[in-house]
Amino acid sequence: MFEIFVNTHYNIVGKRVYAYWISGILITLGLISFIFQGLNYGIDFRGGTLVQLKFEESITAGELRSLLKSPELGTPQIQRSDVNEYMIRVLTIGTGDEIQNIIQNDLKGKTFEIRRAEIVGPKIGEELRRKAIGAIFAALFLILVYISIRFELKFAFGAVAALFHDVIVTLGLFSIFQWEISMPVLAAFLTIVGYSLNDTIVVYDRIRENKLTHKNKTFPDVINLSINQSLSRTIITSLTTFLVVLILVIFGGEVLFGFSIAMLIGVVVGTYSSSFVASPLLIIWEHKFKNKEIVKK
Amino acid sequence: MQKKFILNYVIIGMLLVWGAWQLIPTLRYEAMSEERKEELRLKGELERIEERIIRRGLDLQGGMHLVLEVNVARLTQNIAQNKSQTYYEFMNGLEAKYASDPNTDYFDLLQNEADAKQFRLARHFPGRGDQNAQIISSLKNEAADAVIRAEEIIRNRVDQFGVSEPTIQRQGNRRIIVELAGVTDPERATNLIQNTALLEFILLKDAEIVQDAISRIDAVVKKVDPEMLKDTTRVIDSVSDDKTVSIEELFGMSSETEDDSMAIVDEAIYRERPFSALLRNLGSDIGVPSENYYAVRRILEDPDVLRVLPADMRVLWSNKTETLTTQEGQQKAFYRLYFVNREAGLTGGVVTDAKATLGGMDGSNMGQPIVNLSMNSEGAKVWSRMTGANIGKRIAIVLDDKVTIAPSIRGRIPGGRTVIEGLTSINEAKDIEISLKAGALPAPVDIIEKRTIGPSLGSDSIRKGTMSALIGLLLVVLFIVVYYRASGIIAFVTLVLNILFVLSILSLLKATLTLPGIGGLVLTVGMAVDANVLIFERIREELRKGKTVKASVDNGYARALITILDANLTTLIAALVLWQFGTGPIRGFAVVLFWGIIFNFVSGYFISKTILTTITHGKTLQKLSI
Repeated sequence: MFEIFVNTHYNIVGKRVYAYWISGILITLGLISFIFQGLNYGIDFRGGTLVQLKFEESITAGELRSLLKSPELGTPQIQRSDVNEYMIRVLTIGTGDEIQNIIQNDLKGKTFEIRRAEIVGPKIGEELRRKAIGAIFAALFLILVYISIRFELKFAFGAVAALFHDVIVTLGLFSIFQWEISMPVLAAFLTIVGYSLNDTIVVYDRIRENKLTHKNKTFPDVINLSINQSLSRTIITSLTTFLVVLILVIFGGEVLFGFSIAMLIGVVVGTYSSSFVASPLLIIWEHKFKNKEIVKK
Repeated sequence: MQKKFILNYVIIGMLLVWGAWQLIPTLRYEAMSEERKEELRLKGELERIEERIIRRGLDLQGGMHLVLEVNVARLTQNIAQNKSQTYYEFMNGLEAKYASDPNTDYFDLLQNEADAKQFRLARHFPGRGDQNAQIISSLKNEAADAVIRAEEIIRNRVDQFGVSEPTIQRQGNRRIIVELAGVTDPERATNLIQNTALLEFILLKDAEIVQDAISRIDAVVKKVDPEMLKDTTRVIDSVSDDKTVSIEELFGMSSETEDDSMAIVDEAIYRERPFSALLRNLGSDIGVPSENYYAVRRILEDPDVLRVLPADMRVLWSNKTETLTTQEGQQKAFYRLYFVNREAGLTGGVVTDAKATLGGMDGSNMGQPIVNLSMNSEGAKVWSRMTGANIGKRIAIVLDDKVTIAPSIRGRIPGGRTVIEGLTSINEAKDIEISLKAGALPAPVDIIEKRTIGPSLGSDSIRKGTMSALIGLLLVVLFIVVYYRASGIIAFVTLVLNILFVLSILSLLKATLTLPGIGGLVLTVGMAVDANVLIFERIREELRKGKTVKASVDNGYARALITILDANLTTLIAALVLWQFGTGPIRGFAVVLFWGIIFNFVSGYFISKTILTTITHGKTLQKLSI
């Protein structure tokens, strides 16, 4: 048998302080960036115009920027997406095709193909943002309900806390690198919610089972055993999913980039959090709300 | 094979047959050459196949996605009567508030404002009851009705435009979503749909009134100078070397107005009359060089400027630019600017028919593109009175606040039969025809979201999406076969089946495959692998405990089921929330994810269990290749 991480006895629960440090630092960095530079909402969520142009002659982003000088465009974001192909985002609001026409007017004399043009009104953008936040909370709430039915309330809180952790860390990274938050990225966030939960529940499932079969062990020991038993599965699954998503990042093209990069971060953070955050949190919960006897038992 | 598995294999067999049956049309279609498709289309057989294939989303095949919203503020304005100074003051205040907070409901705002200012709506909306609340509820019904009519009219137009498989649906009570796959000329398509707005016939203001208005604007602009014209200075400077003409010439007061000379104004006149300096004389019309467009528009939208204009005047732009040759022989693009009455002489669906054609052998239109237009009796009556009282004046045909054309009235037109002439091309005539013919709406429709994907980007996306899905699948398969050996091959089979089943259900549900949908397929692969890993790891554990192969396999599947169930159901919740919330491409992702999870149970658990237990139960295996 070709095996990895079998019969491990890592003291993961004992080292949870390190995990708190790592998570704490990541979350703090994210929050600082969040406060000072905020999130880079794409036109999906704030309204604006995006055009993706493929030029026939070679042109640099700098040249393109110097051409797009109409005052109506404000400071357009220019992003290279392929050879002589650029995405231009303009966040000022015009009516209908107006901004697109200004861009085309500024670029008169260049030959290009319009590969994509998206215009989102500010009204729709704000609506989508509101709905998106609603959707994330609705998903978290439903999951909380489901887990408390299937497990116990403390598991539900542990799982949702881990999910918050994942979403905040991922959002923090998006804020630090100023990656654009678009609709596909939101879809990725919701998938991360589902995926990270997947991992967490596999471990919880083990804890539930081991609590019955290892009655002589303390709760932290049960948790540690469960994490170790699931470790090989967690690593293999995460590795394969990571591979698949990595391929998507590399070959998926610029349209899927935001989605794939959010997924990639989500897979890593989700795997880490299910072993190092969600389960140790159960111990904190026990310490806080139950008498210490149960922990020592 | 043991008897107890026969039912399982029957079910699996049926699933496979169903999957193949669902997918064959798509495979046939994809393999078909364009000529063959054309051949089948002529025979009328292609549509039958197309109905059964997996539809590609706009992001994969290129096309246009539009969200339109009926402008309720304009609808209300159009219904209102007895418009007095107090009415305009009330409405202007209301609209300013509405514009500042786009998330309030217009009618709620109207109710609040009317109550707060004790404004009696009954005076301006007769026949709708006495109380403000009654009137507003009647207006709300009218708005809902307008959306339904708009949807019908847009459908009508899109059909005339000849786009295959258009999707037109109403969303809520204000919006219409239009999806046009594979449009080759998105600009023309948008124009046609967007023009599905308010059709109005509006009289142009007389030249003296226009000149007076322009002088007033000049005065206002001069006073607030230089702040207001900061951005326009550049434009003026760039043309200041051009020929100098007098203001009189510029606005058609001198004898030279008959020729189409471009009068360009220099610095001196700019200082005197800064607004006029931006305009050019196009014979009987006022032209605005396209580079002056935003400068002029900004001035015309300025509140101080609006205050000095007569209350019953509106300024409208032509719906497109025209390229004309200047005296210096340059090609330049111009908009036309029209000063018209605030109230339309004739509105709405009075047009019964319109036809673009070439003029007949008789008369001056021989061989020229014209549009023949007829009206219903109600419209014809108003039209006859209107044209009779204004012979020699000009009337603008206005669609969605843009002037399509502004012909002169030759004489009274009785019976509604009208000829529009002086058109530059048969294409122009045809676009006018379509706009007039499909009827007109009581309210304009705004485009609030528009996404256009070029066909080349679509096929690029398919290529990239499919390639990453295949590479991903290959890597995963390689990994599990190395890691789990023979059992890995079973996992591989169930993985492939899972994808095929998802594609089959997409084709059955006539769902669309979008680019995020392909992303969803990739994720499904990940989830399917997870199910297999969970099971195999459990089996290995049981084997390690020293249990028999048979017992290990049975226990492994039983134990893993609970885990897979809990883990996948939570992802299912996320998928359902996404489906509920998302639009277009995101929905495509949610649908794939949802069915991916469902079939994960079917193939990742049920089929894999059936195969593996058949093998291990058949003979007493001492060793399992896992």
